[in-house]
Parts: sequence; C-alpha cells; structure tokens
Amino acid sequence: MRVATADLEARVWSALAEIDDPEMPVNLVDLGLIYGLEVGEGTVQVRLTFTAMGCPASEMIVDDIRERLRREPGIDDVVIEVVWDPPWSSARLTPQGREALQAWGLAV
Amino acid sequence: MEPDSSGTFDTLLKRGELIESVAEMTPDYLRELKHTLIVSGDTELISAPAYYLAARKAPSVNAFMTGIAIIQDELAHAHIAYHILEELGESQEALIFRRDPKAFRYPYAFDVPLESWTELVVANAMYDQAGFCLLGDIHEQCSYGPWKRGLVKVMAEENFHLRNGRNWSKRISQAGGAAREELQRAVDWMFPLTVEWFGLPDNLKQHSAQLDYRLKGLTNDQLRQQWLSTVVPFMESIGINVPAHREDSHFVLDYPFPCTFDAEQKRWDFKDPCTWDDVLARWRARGPRNAEMVGLFQESFQRFQVRA
Repeated sequence: MRVATADLEARVWSALAEIDDPEMPVNLVDLGLIYGLEVGEGTVQVRLTFTAMGCPASEMIVDDIRERLRREPGIDDVVIEVVWDPPWSSARLTPQGREALQAWGLAV
Repeated sequence: MEPDSSGTFDTLLKRGELIESVAEMTPDYLRELKHTLIVSGDTELISAPAYYLAARKAPSVNAFMTGIAIIQDELAHAHIAYHILEELGESQEALIFRRDPKAFRYPYAFDVPLESWTELVVANAMYDQAGFCLLGDIHEQCSYGPWKRGLVKVMAEENFHLRNGRNWSKRISQAGGAAREELQRAVDWMFPLTVEWFGLPDNLKQHSAQLDYRLKGLTNDQLRQQWLSTVVPFMESIGINVPAHREDSHFVLDYPFPCTFDAEQKRWDFKDPCTWDDVLARWRARGPRNAEMVGLFQESFQRFQVRA
C-alpha cells in the first residue's frame, strides 16, 4: 500500500511538471508554486501558491491542475488548497525554472 | 549620417539581414516602418479602453483581475511600438495625445462598443487572434531588428488573452440558454468585423510596400486564412455557428464579402453586398466609439499639463 502511494505521489509530481504557467514558459513545479502533496485513497490534495495575490491566471492554473490530475489513473478527487504562507519569492524557483525564465528574458 | 544608398540597402534586405538603425534605412523604408508601427501601437492602445469598458461587467473578482491584466498587457504592447517610433524620430506625445481621433489607425472593429463580459471574451478569442496572426507574422519576418525582438514577449502574452477568450467562450456556450444566445449574437457581429480586419483582398491589392520591405511576410488573404483556420474550428467545437466553412485546404465565407454593416444595431446585412470603396469610406469616417475612447486618454493629459 505504501509503495502504491509513493508511486502515485511520484506520478502526481510528474503530472504537475507537465503543466506550464499560462503566462511564462515554465512549469508549475519549476516555478515553485507547489508547496506539498497529500495522496490518499483515490484523492490528492495539492497545496498551491501563486506568484502574486493578484495573479490573473490563478483560475486557469487551478483548472489546469484539476484537469490534468483527474486524467491520472488512481485519482478520483483533486482538492486544491491555496496557501500564502510562506509567500512565494524567486528563491522558490528550481535551477531549471530559473534557467527557463532567464532564457525568456526575466531577471531572476 | 546620410541614409545608405538604396542599392546597398536593397542588398541587405534581399540577404535577409536585419536593419538596426535609421542610418541604414532609405526614406521610403522609414516611412513604411513608421506607418506599420503606428497601426500596431494604435491598435494595442485603443484595445485598452475598449476592453476596459467591457471588463467592468466581469462576473467575478477573479475574472475582473484577468480582464485588467489583459488590458495592462495591451498598454505595454502599445508602449513598445510608440517607444520604437520615438527612437525613429516621432513624438509619442503628439501621436497619442495631440492627434485627431479620426487620424488613429486601429481597426474599425474597436470603434463598435464592447458592452458585456461576453463581448469582451469573444474579442479575446477573435480580435486577439487577429492580433496574434498579424504580430506573429511580423515577429517571424520583420526586417527591423528592434521590433522583431520586442515582439517575443508580446506573443507569449497574446497567448494568455486567447486562452481567456477561449475558456470563457466555451464556458458560456456550455451554460446554454440565454447566455449561449448572447454568445452567438456577439459572434454574429464580431466575426465578419474581424474577417474585414485583414484588409483588401489580394486581387485588389496588387502591391504591398510592407511585403517588399519585409516588414511582414504574409499577404492579407494569407493572414485572413490563417485566422479562419483557427477561429472557425474552435467556434464549431464549442457549438457556435460561424458564417464560413472549410473547402479542401482553405476556408470560404458563406456571405458576400464585403457587405454592409449597421454599427449602431451591430448587424450585418448579408443580403446587401457593397464595394471595398464603401468599406474604406466607413473605416475613414470611424465608428461610434472612436472619439470617446481617444478622449479617455487625451482629456486628462490636457488637464494636467503644466502651463509655462
């Protein structure tokens, strides 16, 4: 059972890494928006933040996460918890995320 | 420095090289580049008040935020074009704040009021798609380096606008009933206005200096086809009718092009074909909201001028 959960959690992380931010060419994981996951029996809870409270793409990001994770075998229910503490900063970018944004012309 | 002789300039252009400064240009090239930039800057600038007047009707705080972010993008895109114009010797202040509203060069479509959230999202799905086709072509082909490079981010942001348009159009269509009827009505008047946006058909426009100078790469009809090839299948996929269909590899309009439009009623008369001279006369006269929208910028600017 534990193995199955660990496997599902790994698949959820990979699935989230397939979703690009709607405004920038970087995926949600490399952008550092995902604060954590809790995988249960057929459910996954995603703790998510946005780069700004006024993020104009927040609804699109939430829709994209739901749509993608529901396609993942073993997941029936997706719960998204939006968190603001700690606030997002560019320190949360992964090295790949930083590289992608720099290549795109953002100073990060 | 004197402009380069046109012989050398032609060689540069033909070799596909980028022009980087006024010193390299011929006077004709400079004039055509400025004209193209003014059309682009005016279009982005005026979309801001046009969208804002409709975004106020947003159905949620989040939707309003998205609408406002799109407007901010449009202003930034306008700024890029006017900034380059300034480097080419034009005055941004004169262009934006001292020009007669009728002298603005944005597409006629923006002069017809967008009055609801539904009309705004249809504009995002169709007008921004037109902008995407036109700017995408300039981004790929443009011989003027500073503009070509400035468009990299513009394209990414226009994508976001398209997505807002498509997501909401789909959602409104799925809601059905009166919401869906309103969506269909918006598409009915906005679709032919956007078809018109790309200008004279190629058989009437024999020569294009913009193409000669590689300011753009595709003809009016090629760009119109590109637009149709994205908008028609999308609208059909969400169950909304459009007056065009695919025939083999290209798209055909199901109405006489051009035909007459009643801007006050937002209604096309497909039974009343007209000539391109009629269309050009309508464009020149500008539409219902031209003076109001330009006034939004110009009024406050004049009011806060410090008098010597």
